[in-house]
Amino acid sequence: MRFEKLRYDKAGETLYGYEHSSGLKAFVIPRKGYSKRYAAFAAHYGSIDNEFIIPGDDKTTKVPDGIAHFLEHKLFEQEDGSVMNKFSALGSSPNAYTSFNQTVYLFSCTDRFTENLDLLLNYVQSPYITEDSVEKEKGIIGQEIMMYQDNPGYRSFYNLLAALYEKNPVRIDIAGTIDSISRIDKDTLYKCYNTFYHPSNMAVLVVGDVEPEGVFERVEASIRQNDPRPEIERIYPDEPAGVRTDYTEQKLAISMPMFQMGYKDGFNGRDGLDLIMYETAVKVLLELIAGRSSDLYESLYNEGLINSSFDTDFMIQKSYAFSILGGESPDPVKVRDRFCWKVEEIKRKGLDQGAYDRLIRSMYGRFMRQFNSVERISRGFISDYFKGVNMFDYLHVYDKISFKYVSEILNKHFNQVNLAMSVIKPV
Amino acid sequence: MEKEFNAGQAVKADSFNGIDIYRIDTDKFKTSSIHIFFHDNLTRENVTKNALLPAVMRRGSKAYPSLKDISMELENLYGASFDCGVSKKGERHLMHFYIEFLSKKYTPDGTDTFEAGLRLLSDIVTRPAFVNGVFNEEHMISEKDKLRILIEGRVNDKMSYSMERCLEEVCRHEPYGIYDYGFVEDLAQITAEELTRHYVKMVETFPMQVFLTGNISDAEADRVAELLRGLTRKDTLALRDGFTAKVNVEPRYVTETMNVTQGKLCLGYRTNTPPGSQEYRALMIYSGILGGGTHSKLFQNVREKAGLAYYSHAMLEKFKGLMVISSGIDIKDKDRTMEIIEKQLDDISNGNISDREMDATLKSMETGIKSLTDSQIHIVDFYLSQMMSGTSDSFGDVIKKIRQVKREDVIRAAQKITLDTVYFLTAPEDGQQAAVE
Repeated sequence: MRFEKLRYDKAGETLYGYEHSSGLKAFVIPRKGYSKRYAAFAAHYGSIDNEFIIPGDDKTTKVPDGIAHFLEHKLFEQEDGSVMNKFSALGSSPNAYTSFNQTVYLFSCTDRFTENLDLLLNYVQSPYITEDSVEKEKGIIGQEIMMYQDNPGYRSFYNLLAALYEKNPVRIDIAGTIDSISRIDKDTLYKCYNTFYHPSNMAVLVVGDVEPEGVFERVEASIRQNDPRPEIERIYPDEPAGVRTDYTEQKLAISMPMFQMGYKDGFNGRDGLDLIMYETAVKVLLELIAGRSSDLYESLYNEGLINSSFDTDFMIQKSYAFSILGGESPDPVKVRDRFCWKVEEIKRKGLDQGAYDRLIRSMYGRFMRQFNSVERISRGFISDYFKGVNMFDYLHVYDKISFKYVSEILNKHFNQVNLAMSVIKPV
Repeated sequence: MEKEFNAGQAVKADSFNGIDIYRIDTDKFKTSSIHIFFHDNLTRENVTKNALLPAVMRRGSKAYPSLKDISMELENLYGASFDCGVSKKGERHLMHFYIEFLSKKYTPDGTDTFEAGLRLLSDIVTRPAFVNGVFNEEHMISEKDKLRILIEGRVNDKMSYSMERCLEEVCRHEPYGIYDYGFVEDLAQITAEELTRHYVKMVETFPMQVFLTGNISDAEADRVAELLRGLTRKDTLALRDGFTAKVNVEPRYVTETMNVTQGKLCLGYRTNTPPGSQEYRALMIYSGILGGGTHSKLFQNVREKAGLAYYSHAMLEKFKGLMVISSGIDIKDKDRTMEIIEKQLDDISNGNISDREMDATLKSMETGIKSLTDSQIHIVDFYLSQMMSGTSDSFGDVIKKIRQVKREDVIRAAQKITLDTVYFLTAPEDGQQAAVE
């Protein structure tokens, strides 16, 4: 059996990789001394993939919003009952999540790893969807959607995306709406399954104290397709420049206003090292401008305009990228204005080299710290993998990134015409 | 014979002046950490001061006088985390200060992260940035405002709010019913002088537990002990055991209205089983069978069979002796959900537990306990809980004890459980104002 071994001595990590004849890739990141053994079987298929051309077809297929997430729920059901019972009998806990770009099925166990792995690999390849079970699931997912409707953090996030984007499907809630899921049926679910759950569009990752070769042998024995299949053509509508609206507001039963604001970024199409270099640059900039050690954070905090819930992030994929800043504030608009002034001031005066060096050091440390947690390794690795990135490439980025490059991105990303704000106010 | 599970062992390294120091030596993490806990009894008199104190302390110390100075030092230490706050376990109020940092061997330039991390944490805990001998008034005013926002912001997360409110209603005449972050109306009367006196009381008299985890050398552990020996300590406070048993209760119904889309139904129970007893192990299995995962009766019946909820689970409060069952449901389905939930409890009491349910729960619990050893904070919390319930079991011991639990034990635990309060968070009916009834 042939597989690759890549060592990252500085991080004290090793990555093992294997490619199946179907095009599926499998990876193992060993964790010596850990009790938990964790495996994920992931499809490069998320909520934004709602329009596509099935390989071999000549026309496009459009499906209801929320279907990737619905399918994730339905895969747990098998011809002989729920697969959850089988995992329970093995003492493991199965789970799954759907994001904008991927659907991930996983389990975490401490014993009987091989049986758990076989079960995971098999059930994801064996959909059993009936009309009755689709109808029942609409009730459960309906409650999940309603739960998010009362959650101010979720609402302000999705409202921001809907303000930033006019056409890009990232503007739609991952779970869809009560209305959109009402249009989901068995046949459409199978159509999506057959399109996106081909092994060539999937990956397997195992994290834990395991033998890599044994894992790859199980993968080889379990994958039922032997030939690769052409790429699926995913259709993402052209997104106009600028934002759809620069301000949006909703009222919920909360105690104090909450907000999220962010810049829509034109960066797209690129992947690999380019993409994470850019990502790192924007993240450092957000820290430089509004991070915990910045003058702006200090003054907003002291004036009571923000509290420790304030945080920043940057999300980037091939088809979209945006920064995000938010928290609770008695006066979100004032926070936004102060942030914008600060950006202009820094653009005029230039970045602080000392702070930049310190923050790169801090980002390196935080990158290393995520290797403490099997869940965080798995989430990070899979999301990176489908962007064409090997997670360990971040080690190169921290070495290679330069003050000059980051200074250039400052002018590029923080452009007022791409800024939108979403506020949740108390009823 | 299965190999004994012995990961994540804690060793008591030192004990003096009401301070216990524990070491959890492990090589598997990239980071090491230092945790300091101060224990108080949960009381109306102290709760707000206890909550305000860490918030003001983290604003600056002698060597790191501002929030910004602390943040810069954390960034220099390869993005170390420092935080502090309060929580309640039973009727104990805990103040927790910790720092977690990249272990020296993973720093590219060999920075002595332990020494630097300890310096920062101990400066914050033992040398506050006093102005004329008291806490900085400006910092205190600002943190009072933030604490007020935090207390008022409880309602923002409806799931945790409804569960906490339900248990507070169960214990409305007992200290457990006190919210960990205190009372908005008590903030105004706290002066900088009083907060400073309270700080001195905490450092001098509250029992302290210190945990060192990760890659820590003997010399480093000695440094910690030496530093703590330097603290002025007086008679340590006597801590109370908060467990309460209560049987023959007539259930109360509490309805709270808010502008919500989904209703939250929470049922609060007295378990009548004290922590630290072997019966408690049976209770853990009981709550697992009832609502601890996908194999549980609640998940299977409320969610999978009836399709009424996305979540429905049971959770124990070990120290006080409580259990809460929580579900997010359509408002109109309240009665139907209640009925299904009560049927599940009756089923267990009547011995209706399948081999599969028993077996899956035991296994999932074992997996859960072993998994705790993969996280430093979970290991710390595990030992903290052990000590608070007067037991000194290792992870392996707990697993052994759980395996000894028999079906009859679970049924006995089930029969001791009493429903106390049914709490429902719902939307106001048309034309009605949001309120508590």
